[in-house]
Amino acid sequence: MRSTILSARWRANSGPWALLCSVVAFVYLFSLGPILITAAVSFNETHRSSFPPHGFSFRWWERALAPEWINPLLFSLKLGSLTALFSTLLALPLAFALFRYRFRGRDALVALTLGPLMLPTLVTGVGLLQLFQYVGWREYIGFTALLVGHVVICMPFAVRTVGVSLHTLPPNVELAAGSLGATRWRTLRYIVFPLIKSGVVAGAVFAFIHSFTDVNLSIFLARPGEIPITVKILGFLEFGFAPTLAAVSVITLLLPLILVAIVERVSGLGDFIYGDRDRA
Amino acid sequence: MAGTSKRSRVPAHWLLIAVPAAVLLVFFVLPNALLLSASFLKSEAQQLTAVPTLENYRFLLTRPLYLEVFLRTFVIGLAVGAIDVALGYPLAYFLVRTRSRWKGLLIALSLAPLLASVVVRTYGWYIILNRFGIANDALLGLGMIDQRIAFMPSTGAIVIGLAHALLPYTVLTIMGSLNGINPNLESAAMSLGATRTRTFFNVVLPLSLPGIAGGFILVFSIAISAYATPAILGGPATQVAATAIYGFIMQLLDWSLGAALAVVLIVCSLTLLYAASRLGARRAVL
Repeated sequence: MRSTILSARWRANSGPWALLCSVVAFVYLFSLGPILITAAVSFNETHRSSFPPHGFSFRWWERALAPEWINPLLFSLKLGSLTALFSTLLALPLAFALFRYRFRGRDALVALTLGPLMLPTLVTGVGLLQLFQYVGWREYIGFTALLVGHVVICMPFAVRTVGVSLHTLPPNVELAAGSLGATRWRTLRYIVFPLIKSGVVAGAVFAFIHSFTDVNLSIFLARPGEIPITVKILGFLEFGFAPTLAAVSVITLLLPLILVAIVERVSGLGDFIYGDRDRA
Repeated sequence: MAGTSKRSRVPAHWLLIAVPAAVLLVFFVLPNALLLSASFLKSEAQQLTAVPTLENYRFLLTRPLYLEVFLRTFVIGLAVGAIDVALGYPLAYFLVRTRSRWKGLLIALSLAPLLASVVVRTYGWYIILNRFGIANDALLGLGMIDQRIAFMPSTGAIVIGLAHALLPYTVLTIMGSLNGINPNLESAAMSLGATRTRTFFNVVLPLSLPGIAGGFILVFSIAISAYATPAILGGPATQVAATAIYGFIMQLLDWSLGAALAVVLIVCSLTLLYAASRLGARRAVL
């Protein structure tokens, strides 16, 4: 309530607020402009990526839907989905242990869990490449190595979102279920899991997006024929560029956007990106 | 392991953590340990040998070429951090304070760029900055230049691209810290006669310093290990740590030097993130 009065007073004398608004408009332009320009360029009729676009055509979109681009895109989708699945499956028990038990070595386990978030992803990629070459798993470089690497770097996101929902779950509900005669498993299955479901879904979504947009790890572990879309685009950029690439970029941008929009509608994500908004 | 349990049962938390911890140990700790050890080994004929040496570090820290790479990486990190704080602060302040109906949408829009890969976001700048790009077209059209200029490859282009890619992180951290400020403090300052501007500079800004520092360090630490943006908007003359590591490992096949450079990067990142955690910043979830 107080903040309402405050900001009302802020706006009452609108000089500084108007200034702030114009700065904010500039920041939005800076932030969204390049993405919108990319989208616009993809409808060019000419070979040059000119803006504003000359004419209007879908020819670059047709090229973007050719196997050359669709295959890495499908590869990334498969990789992202499996990464989301495995990192969530691994994160669930880990989050339970970390948020429900006090034990010796818990701090070390927290450090281990958050490690992949703390160390540069690039370094983990180099290390994994060295591991796979050193142990003689060379033939697994490609999809398997990418999946392993992505699961490792995405797990912290899932642990965190599951942890947030476990944290907000009152311990009493479990006790209540127990005192009414439910077994541990039934309590988990019918009480705890439904209540933390949105955290699990949010974790899976973040893992998918993190995997789908990763470059730093993937550049080391990809191999011909098993290339995520980001690495494919990066490689193509070294030889120059065409509006095809703009169309491909827009597709890779839209997929996570659609996913987030759907999940936000169905189970809500906002609390997990920006959880402590109302706790202050 | 069972400790006090009489029935020699394994405690529940051990069962829960066994598999995920094993995965992290084998596929995260072990690779990093291997990398650390490789940085102290000699490389010969593109193969690691078992000869221990400090030569890799000495080489990297004495060659002007690599000192320049370190310096450039560091300057890029500082510049990107400063730009993102300068741009992110007003946006975060606005998002926290606005009573607009569209607040949710505005927050979503400010974070939406995180959904696109850095490659895609940098590609937008490629379209703008390349020799036949929009910036050149516009300047030519306005008659401000008579021939096309090369905005890229350059360190400046890398800074702009990274500042654009990492902006949501400062917005998130600063919003977190602004939300933590008790609004009563501002009311109190104003009821005691301070102007809004004075209240902002004497009350709000100092209280949000941890958010600023946290956002700066977070962006700095991501920027110094970024690969895609320097690879796209930079060139051979504007190498940074990440592109140099990639060059050592994937092109020169010199694991020792690549590993040593990676270790230097790890040490920088960890020191910074430790500093950030002391300042009470938290890393954004997304």
